[in-house]
Amino acid sequence: MSLKVLNPNAEVLNKSHALHMNINAAKGLQDVLKSNLGPKGTIKMLVGGAGDIKLTKDGNTLLKEMQIQSPTAIMIARTAVAQDETSGDGTTSTVIFIGELMKQSERYIDEGMHPRVLVDGFEIAKRATLQFLEKFKTPVVMGDEPDKEILKMVARTALRTKLYESLADQLTDIVVNAVLCIRKPEEPIDLFMVEIMHMRHKFDVDTRLVEGLVLDHGSRHPDMKRRAENCYILTCNVSLEYEKSEVNAGFFYSSAEQREAMVAAERRSVDERVQKIIDLKNKVCADNDSNFAVFNQKGIDPPSLDLLARAGIIALRRAKRRNMERLVLACGGEAVNSVDDLTPDCLGWAGLVNEHVLGEEKYTFVENVKNPHSCTILIKGPNDHTIAQIKDAVRDGLRAVKNTIEDEAIVLGAGAFEVAARQYLVNEVKKTVKGRAQLGVEAFADALLVVPKILAENSGLDTQDVIIELTGEHDKGNVVGLNLHTGEPIDPQLAGIFDNYSVKRQLINSGPVIASQLLLVDEVIRAGRNMRKPS
Amino acid sequence: MREIVTIQAGNYANFVGSHFWNFQDELLGLADSTESDQIFKSHGLNMDVLYRPGETQQGILTYTPRLVSMGLRGSLGSMSSHGTLYKEIQEAQVGSLTWTGPVTTQTSQPLQKNLFLQSLDWEENSNVDRLGAYENEQNEAHAEIQDKDIVESLENDIQYWTDFSKVHYHPQSLYELCGLWTDSKDFNNYGIGREAFSGGLHAEQVNDRLRFFLEECDHPQKGYQTFATLTFKGIQFIVDDSGGFSGVAGEVLEIIADDYPNIPVLLYSVRSPDSCLDPSHRKLTIARRLHNAVSFAKQSALCKLIVPIGLPSLSTSKMSKYLYLEDRKPYHTSAVYASALHSISLPFRMEPHGPSAQYVSTSGAVTMNDLIQILAGQGCQNMVAVLDASMPAPALTGTGFQQPLLETLQPLTPETAEDVEDMQALESMIIHGAFASGSERASVCEVTEAVQAAYTNAVRRPKFSHLSVAQCPLPIPLPYPSIFGKFVGERGELLNTQVSDSSSSRGSLEVHSVPMAARLRSSIAILPFLDNRLQNLRKLGIARGALGSEILGSWGFGRDDVEDIGETLSDMVTKLNPRSEASSDSD
Repeated sequence: MSLKVLNPNAEVLNKSHALHMNINAAKGLQDVLKSNLGPKGTIKMLVGGAGDIKLTKDGNTLLKEMQIQSPTAIMIARTAVAQDETSGDGTTSTVIFIGELMKQSERYIDEGMHPRVLVDGFEIAKRATLQFLEKFKTPVVMGDEPDKEILKMVARTALRTKLYESLADQLTDIVVNAVLCIRKPEEPIDLFMVEIMHMRHKFDVDTRLVEGLVLDHGSRHPDMKRRAENCYILTCNVSLEYEKSEVNAGFFYSSAEQREAMVAAERRSVDERVQKIIDLKNKVCADNDSNFAVFNQKGIDPPSLDLLARAGIIALRRAKRRNMERLVLACGGEAVNSVDDLTPDCLGWAGLVNEHVLGEEKYTFVENVKNPHSCTILIKGPNDHTIAQIKDAVRDGLRAVKNTIEDEAIVLGAGAFEVAARQYLVNEVKKTVKGRAQLGVEAFADALLVVPKILAENSGLDTQDVIIELTGEHDKGNVVGLNLHTGEPIDPQLAGIFDNYSVKRQLINSGPVIASQLLLVDEVIRAGRNMRKPS
Repeated sequence: MREIVTIQAGNYANFVGSHFWNFQDELLGLADSTESDQIFKSHGLNMDVLYRPGETQQGILTYTPRLVSMGLRGSLGSMSSHGTLYKEIQEAQVGSLTWTGPVTTQTSQPLQKNLFLQSLDWEENSNVDRLGAYENEQNEAHAEIQDKDIVESLENDIQYWTDFSKVHYHPQSLYELCGLWTDSKDFNNYGIGREAFSGGLHAEQVNDRLRFFLEECDHPQKGYQTFATLTFKGIQFIVDDSGGFSGVAGEVLEIIADDYPNIPVLLYSVRSPDSCLDPSHRKLTIARRLHNAVSFAKQSALCKLIVPIGLPSLSTSKMSKYLYLEDRKPYHTSAVYASALHSISLPFRMEPHGPSAQYVSTSGAVTMNDLIQILAGQGCQNMVAVLDASMPAPALTGTGFQQPLLETLQPLTPETAEDVEDMQALESMIIHGAFASGSERASVCEVTEAVQAAYTNAVRRPKFSHLSVAQCPLPIPLPYPSIFGKFVGERGELLNTQVSDSSSSRGSLEVHSVPMAARLRSSIAILPFLDNRLQNLRKLGIARGALGSEILGSWGFGRDDVEDIGETLSDMVTKLNPRSEASSDSD
């Protein structure tokens, strides 16, 4: 109690209070998120005080929208969001799993068991489950030509929990093709090379994959072409605007002539740079039926735009830094930082460069490229909240495909893994454990069942019946998952329901760690704020 | 045209910004109105510098500020983050198109719009279907009743900066930082802001918005052809640096430095009076002092000119002679700072005159880049400027009891030294809407001459002074707080006798415009400000066994980083005061 002496205002919650505070917070968070889980879950529409609408079925988005106050809940939320950042999915499952571990522990603790013993059991069970996962997973050989069907099954499983079926199926093809497009052998997949662009226009089903790049700006000169076929692409990071250089930045000139001379000299050097680009264009486009487009990361001022327009060149300025990389991957050539040694080798090529105008927003499509290694998923939707929701789903889908390729393994879904792992823990691991830690293993095993239970609950099925049926099948040696439409056991392999291996592993790893920490808290001390006050 | 993009970060910065944009909106309105004074109609200012023309998807033309504003989630009050102009296509069913399963809806209690915002909505609707004179009359009657109530209701409960904003914002302008899970009270240091911003997609999204406004900025052709004016775009950045947004701003400044290295940034770091109070808790005091040092050093390293703004108490400053200010109301204090920022921004927008122009309404146009060169590019290269303002500015030839204009300038920068002799001082002053004597507007030449005369007679003179003059005074929009005293007349002139009025202070209904003077100066007066930060950092952060090194560590600054920050600060001090090095090393 020395801390209390140090700061008499600090409030101290004693052991049982602290524990129950943690358990209640975890259960509370679970309650909020559990209706989200699975393809039969509920979508949440949040309407803000100013009438802003947000639609989400994604645990990650929902957590970020919530005003969480309880320190325990914040800790769980942080873990769940970190889960999303590292593996791309499983936020809702993490929160539910931690909540369930706490709930199961509560039973034992109320009967007088020390949390320490439970935590020991968790640790044993966690290690055993991870080993079991290694055995249980379905290895997939990726090689040079990954099996598209398997990737599609994983992506479809992820997307169908976020979007209605036909849209999910449409996006499945899009995300799989997108990842395969940017994939290079022997290199990690950089999902940033898939640009995700949105247009507030038409309907969600108009969402499509553009092999090439879509930029959210257009040329800034009235005389430049809006549409060009057979286009050479120059990607550069060269300033084509007149600017005062840092060196002779003095404000005062001894005479007006001197100042004019300096301005003129600066201007001339910009013009020279522009001329070099025009020279290159004239060289490669001599045959007359090809075009030329410049994508510059730096600015291009009106005089330079004028010169370029007169030479028949399309020029876009201030392109996103990342688009420089994407353009080169999509069209070929290389990004140049100076125009001094321009050669035709630096140039990429695109079959079509096309500008599209929507109100004040302009989009430039660079399409029909040869052999692209970068692409754009163009999301369309009638309003911002639809777009935002599709965007979240697309991100999840992309991550699921990437994970599958990198894990070279997948896990049977629809709750099959959880039930199998639970039976393994109860029937085999528990016996090898001595003493009361057995109960910890049991609590852990029962907590695993929360996923099929909630899937069943969200589908309006009877949880008890479902669990009994599923465990029964497993004890007979059949690996089955839950058919959400009928409540019958199904073979997830046949139904094509697969989850990511790395998501599951991360989930089993992080859940018990946080739960253990929360269980072992025996005092909560916080200065300056009253915790018991309802917030 | 010399486009300026404005960035506002943090709640108090948005308060200041809200007033700032209200002035611009008022100027736009007055220029269009048939009834207004000649000085408003030909104010000689190019509004395109701060505003952008646009078009909604329905083809309606818009004119909105080039602005990126950042705030905490929920800081927008009853305003939608998409602004009001760009309405979405009304979807038949609001329900989810993307999900066929069950939907649960959680609706927050809609925030009640205050009288002022209600009257804006009402006006907008009645503009659309104005039928005839009869209804016009009714409008006026309606407006008359309401104006007084509006002013009163604004005076009494302002909670969000949007409560008194009459400006339409572009949907890309308002950015809310969500997913922080901290109380706004706990979002109070550089470290937490930096961490919050770097996680997730915040940096990318803010950069996209900034790019949206910067990409469309041109460099003028005219400047190039005539060589008359060197023209540059710039970024004016208002940050509430008393809390976590200081860290956010640091990250945004880094993005700007990386992606747009040639665009000058003029940074105003504003803070409200209550954030200047020392907290009661000792540990918090240490954290606050370290935050001040770190935040200042980090931000100054990434901009071209930094202007710290925010006195611990405005109500006890020189300003209180003519203004009734309540320090605890951010609505009041931010209005004063916004007025000064408005004045400083005028020279960036002045149109160059042809020699044939008969009616000269402005003189002394500078670009942001030139201003930065004037103050920070010569002499001792000091990039920290002091902001002074006089509001309302007295007449040029004051009668008896009125102080001369130069003496009424009140520093709005905290911790400055008064009455220092600095032979190296550089300054840029703007006077607009000043009166010659009594209530007669002075012409541009008169003001120039008067200031020159004042400087010739002054004991202390700066080494270099640039003067900009405009005829157009500060227009007082309806939602401006009632802060004027009883000696201030309808056009902001200073009266000899009190206005006999029942209320204690006068507001936008009684005072319609105000003459202003504002000045940025680079001088050794800023030394105490720099010294305090340097000493605090040395004592609490760098010294062996310093109390605050753990706090700095938790903000993500290692020992080397802290020493670098100390180096930055001590460099700034040495530039202004070469002798200081010896004394500070000895302790």
